[in-house]
Amino acid sequence: MRTKYRDLPIQIKMTIVYVAISVVVLAVNLTLLLSINSVLKRLEMTYQDNLNLNEITLALDEVQNAMTEYLNVKTTDALENYYKSDENYRSKINDLESTVSSSIYTRMERNIKYMSEEYLTEVSQTIEAKRGRNVEKYRIGYEKATELYDYIGSYIASLNGQQFIENSQTFVLLSRDLRITENVSVFIMILVIITNILVILQYSSQITRPLKTLAISADEVAKGNFDIELTPAESKDEVGVVTSAFNQMVISIRDYIERIKESMENERRHKETELMMETHLKDAQIKYLQAQINPHFLFNSLNAGAQLAMMEEADRTYEYIQNMSEFFRYNLKKADSIITLREEIELVDHYIFIINVRFSGDVKFQKDIDEELIQASIPSMILQPIVENCVNHGIREMAGEGVITLKVFKIMDSICISIKDNGKGMTQETIDKLLNGTYRDDGLSMDSNGIGMDNVINRLRLFLGQDDIITITSEGENKGTEVRIYLPLGDGEV
Amino acid sequence: MKGEGTFKKRFFVAVYAIIFILTVLVAFRFITIYFFGNPKAANPVIYDKYYVMISDNHQSGYWKSVYEGACEYGMEKNVFVEDLASSFSSELSKEELMRIAIASRVDGIIVSADDSEELTELINEANMQGIPVVTMYNDAPNSNRISYVGVDNYNIGKEYGRQAVNVARGIYAETQEDINVVVLVDQIPSSDQMMIYSSVQETFEADGLSSKLRLSMVKIDSTNAFSVEETIRDLFISDDIPAIIICLSELDTTCVYQAVIDYNKVGLISILGYYDSDSILQGISRNIINSTIKIDAVQMGQYCVDALVEYDNAGFTSQYFSVDFEVINSYNVATYMEETNEN
Repeated sequence: MRTKYRDLPIQIKMTIVYVAISVVVLAVNLTLLLSINSVLKRLEMTYQDNLNLNEITLALDEVQNAMTEYLNVKTTDALENYYKSDENYRSKINDLESTVSSSIYTRMERNIKYMSEEYLTEVSQTIEAKRGRNVEKYRIGYEKATELYDYIGSYIASLNGQQFIENSQTFVLLSRDLRITENVSVFIMILVIITNILVILQYSSQITRPLKTLAISADEVAKGNFDIELTPAESKDEVGVVTSAFNQMVISIRDYIERIKESMENERRHKETELMMETHLKDAQIKYLQAQINPHFLFNSLNAGAQLAMMEEADRTYEYIQNMSEFFRYNLKKADSIITLREEIELVDHYIFIINVRFSGDVKFQKDIDEELIQASIPSMILQPIVENCVNHGIREMAGEGVITLKVFKIMDSICISIKDNGKGMTQETIDKLLNGTYRDDGLSMDSNGIGMDNVINRLRLFLGQDDIITITSEGENKGTEVRIYLPLGDGEV
Repeated sequence: MKGEGTFKKRFFVAVYAIIFILTVLVAFRFITIYFFGNPKAANPVIYDKYYVMISDNHQSGYWKSVYEGACEYGMEKNVFVEDLASSFSSELSKEELMRIAIASRVDGIIVSADDSEELTELINEANMQGIPVVTMYNDAPNSNRISYVGVDNYNIGKEYGRQAVNVARGIYAETQEDINVVVLVDQIPSSDQMMIYSSVQETFEADGLSSKLRLSMVKIDSTNAFSVEETIRDLFISDDIPAIIICLSELDTTCVYQAVIDYNKVGLISILGYYDSDSILQGISRNIINSTIKIDAVQMGQYCVDALVEYDNAGFTSQYFSVDFEVINSYNVATYMEETNEN
């Protein structure tokens, strides 16, 4: 029964509470009304005895008057009056008590009743005597009747008086009772109202409590806190259903968030591994290269070669080996340090010489350099990789004479270093990839010194703290490429 | 499970609240019906027989005691005895009350009679109508009353005589003069009063002092309500103030007692009283009243009822019931006063 009530819909629950309270209030009101009503009824009845006695007195007077009138005038009307009043009086005294009891009122009533019967007999005999014209008899009868009439009258008056005194006392008592009843009624009504309020509070809180808990939980969830304690649904009513659904939702969201976190973690781990792999690979490549060539050994060897060529008077060989030696010495000395633009240009010169020896003077190198600017600072190994790029990708694959132009000039407040070839050019896609850093070389070509364009761009950007310091332009296929580097005019230049 | 417990608790709280309200209501109904109930609603006791008592003066303590004795005893016999005069707000004469009793067809009448013809006739009329009449205190010897309940007036007279002689001796020893002794009687002395008077006289004559004692009757006018008191005061302003006054009723005793004080005759007049009302006992304890005759009033009432009940049951009863009496004087007054206080 109780569990069933819990699972009822809220509307029915509220109706049950309302009806129950209404029934209680109704019952209370009815009872109080009945109480007040019974007191009022008794109050109304208080003087009923006196009213009855007054009626008896009136009836008695009528009999006496009717007899007197008949004795005086002896008319039929008077006789008729007498009969009527006689009958009326008899009916009235019939209701009087005839028992002997401890109550003085019933004893007095009894006496009045018997005296009245005696009186009526006397009156009737007197009337008879009058009709029979027995003067003496009816005169005596009249006297006796009148005497009895007086006694009855005074008896009734006494009874009336005594009853009035007692009824007045009763009236006072009843009035007091009525007042008490009123006060008690008010008290009971207040009691009932307070109890009802308590019951309503009790029941309404029973209905709203789960809702409040739910609201608090929902608020927490809205703020993003999913680690709330879930309150289980107490009932199967609407609130219970909503609570269950909410709990399920919170659990689902928690699961979902957990899954997303897991997948993100996986991805991060995956990337980390990838990067590690790349680093390790590069590391391995460097180690490999380092293992292949010890620059000192190579430099010393080359120097020995140069001396040998000079002793054999092979001037061209000597120059070539000298340039080779310079090139490697530069590598040995200046790697990863800041140097002047002049030194960079010297390195390019060595490189071009070597390349021209290797490729039989295929590359024509033109220089247009503002000598005032060549003291500017620049990270090492910047220009040579660019020029190498021009040679490898621009000129080597073309037919005809390759020309590489290196210009250093001032533009606005920057030093512009322009390296231009007349090779096969670049697509815009390749240029964008190079500038974004997303361009990937397939691997180190055998002819490279190991430093790619992306490395050059990144180092420049890091060195200058700016992104827009390099532009690559190509006017189309076979129209060459121009790489421009903009260095700010700073303390470095003269 | 916690929710279940709370729910159960709340459910019972609500149920208890409703039960509490209903209990209060039921209690309230009970109180209004039974405590504030109509006083008349109490069930009266029904009696088999209905006797009325008509006394000389229903308001005096003596007659009240007689009535109470009769009433209480009557209830034991399933009879209700009514003090008829108290039912009326106006004062009615004994004759009128007799007529009312007869017309009311009561089952028996107890009346303190006198020798008057009218009352004798009424007693006879009642008898004719089948209503037995018992006379008490004073008899109506010529009537058809079934019984008389009274004191032995001869012995009372002798007792008064003895008391008076004792007092007279003391007075005579002091004054050596003749001593006036007065007996207060009704305007028309009843046979009982005459009996007492002659008994007193007899006692005097038997004593050696009789030549010095002058016994006389003073007739007290009791025709109207206050004449007794007036007549007694007349006695005190006359030349011949008696030395000893013998009173034969409670009223006479009380009036003489008051007059002695008012006229400053304390010690000069000796009072031999009648009945043991509070004020009379006080008079004795203050040595203003010499002695009083205490008639067993309760016993008188009981004998009256006994006579009527016996007559109803057997058709006859004794003609005469003698009621006990005692003398109260300064020696034993304290005991009686204690008794009165206890009562």
